Amino acid sequence: MASPLPQVLLDGLFAGGTYALMAAGMALILGVVKVINLSHGAFFTLGAYVAYALAERGIGNPIAAAPIAAVIAFAFGVFLGKSFVNPVRSHPFALPVGTLACALLFEQAAQRIWGPHPLSIEAGAPWIGPGGLVLRRWGVVAFLSSAALLGGLKWVLSARPGLPLRLIAEDEEIAGSLGMDVEAIRYLTFGGACAMAAAAGALLSTSGAVTPTMGRAPLLLSLVVVIVAGMDSVAAIFLLSIGLGIFGNACAWLLSPQWSYVSLLAAVCLLLSARPAGIVALAGRRD
Amino acid sequence: MFLSIFLASHCVAAEHPAALKIGVLAPLSGPYAAGGTSFVQAATLAIEQANAEGGVFGRRVAIVVGDTQGRVDVAKTEALRLISLEKVSALVGAYLSEETVGVMEVAAAQRTVLLVPVAATAEITDKIRREYTRYRYVFRVGYSLPQWAEMIAAFLSDRKVRRYAFIGAGIRWNLELGETLERIVAPRGITQAYTAFYSPGNPAFDTVAVAAAAASPDIVILADPGRNSVSFVKRLRESAPKLPVLSVGGALGDARLADSIPLSAPFYVQAAAWRGVSAAATAYVERYEHRYGAPPVGYSDTLPYDAVMVLIAAWRKAGSAATEAVVPVLERGAFPGVAGTYRFDGAHQAQWGTAPGTLQGTFVRWERGGARIVFPLR
Repeated sequence: MASPLPQVLLDGLFAGGTYALMAAGMALILGVVKVINLSHGAFFTLGAYVAYALAERGIGNPIAAAPIAAVIAFAFGVFLGKSFVNPVRSHPFALPVGTLACALLFEQAAQRIWGPHPLSIEAGAPWIGPGGLVLRRWGVVAFLSSAALLGGLKWVLSARPGLPLRLIAEDEEIAGSLGMDVEAIRYLTFGGACAMAAAAGALLSTSGAVTPTMGRAPLLLSLVVVIVAGMDSVAAIFLLSIGLGIFGNACAWLLSPQWSYVSLLAAVCLLLSARPAGIVALAGRRD
Repeated sequence: MFLSIFLASHCVAAEHPAALKIGVLAPLSGPYAAGGTSFVQAATLAIEQANAEGGVFGRRVAIVVGDTQGRVDVAKTEALRLISLEKVSALVGAYLSEETVGVMEVAAAQRTVLLVPVAATAEITDKIRREYTRYRYVFRVGYSLPQWAEMIAAFLSDRKVRRYAFIGAGIRWNLELGETLERIVAPRGITQAYTAFYSPGNPAFDTVAVAAAAASPDIVILADPGRNSVSFVKRLRESAPKLPVLSVGGALGDARLADSIPLSAPFYVQAAAWRGVSAAATAYVERYEHRYGAPPVGYSDTLPYDAVMVLIAAWRKAGSAATEAVVPVLERGAFPGVAGTYRFDGAHQAQWGTAPGTLQGTFVRWERGGARIVFPLR
């Protein structure tokens, strides 16, 4: 019988894709709006519930649900950005607490609407690759979508349309003096990031159970990935996500499943202690 | 005028005496909210049933709920609040073993009857056995882990299983069940091919599913009461579509979830009772479905329902809700419930198992359109 190790590593690649998918939106918020948004996981959950609601109505394809979830989350995100994030963002401690409260409120609302019981959408049979490797559908989707989203983000930030975002990220005062509507760009960016989280939730909805608290674990992991990678390099975020996914699975295989998470967080601590500003920031920005 | 008001209020009080209160402890928020909600729904149904039968000593019965949040400290605080402020006559709960061990201390200190429906750790009955005088107010309606393992062993023998994989979340209930099961099945010539306990925070399902499949067991036994069980079974079906799975209670007893799991191989669920096991069980399932719009999962709802019914039956037999009157009745009596007739042994453990006259539980196999009872066949 062939060794299961290639399958374990391939699954690690897919797991990394799911981290990257969530981290894409988080990077946008941290990099441009410069706030820690603890409601990011709630938008992920919203996306999964939208996918479930559509599946109940016969539209079981998460790829079809993702844009609908993104539009709904964008509207909510813009509202939250305009009414709460912009007014209080100058108070560094108020914003994490406030967005956490929003996340908990959303969880309660989701429990009211859909109930506390786990819900589930049929995932469909996996594809079988060379050598009998199992290509989990949601894993392939997560990997490709995260590559596309982060690639798109990299392009936007480096091309002309991304100039206002880059300028605001560098210096808001200069951006304002050039006539840019900084406030509007900020809440639209916030809405865009929320839309990305919801799209991620919809795309990954078939991989497990849909519950009101399902966004908590991805929130933590995406925050970790963005902080460790550094917000400046989209490519680093993608590669670190993939690296952590493979590392976590390898630890689960070689040590024990219970040690997977601990090993992953220990690796993160080591990386942060070596490069507190993020792995890319110190490597390339010594000037 | 004052006299007439006093007399009027006194008459009203005499016509509608205060309800007898049962404190129900369950997690209604946090990661175990799904199980906790089923728990409270079933307890509510039991109270409604009791009141429809005329209540107890002509008084209505009411439940007061304490949300334990799945945390030991909160469970203990809520237990104390229900006893001292809400003046409940007895407690039913909690949900997790850890919570319940904490609540036991409160019940013992306050000399309040506590019926334990779900928590299965051996520590509960060990304490009662060792310090009977202190813990004699505590009765476990649910099965103990050795009893549950004995029923699983009988099922595995019936299915001619020789090697099994045991997988679960790394919580106390699962760790203890895994060890107990290994010990109990060994004399039957059944061996453990693979075992893994994943972290509930980041479960590494893929790796566990791949490793379990690589060990080539005859069946995978999944011990996880929560949402992670769904994710794991999906991964396992992707990795090994022909490998049978047994879920020992929990969320996978929910038909809505089972519908999303591929049935490429047998998919079994162990439950306390199921529609068709008995007339009482069928009536309960129909009432539950009618009341809440979905059938019960047969575990985190059925056992709390029976716990409340056992308590009410004991009150009626004792002619009082006073702790000192109820304890001897619970110790000596037999109490019908949905899962069968409850009798308690010397450690206040309800007698579950495979012997005649005990509560036996049931194993069902999910099929398209519903579940079929496969063991024990009645």
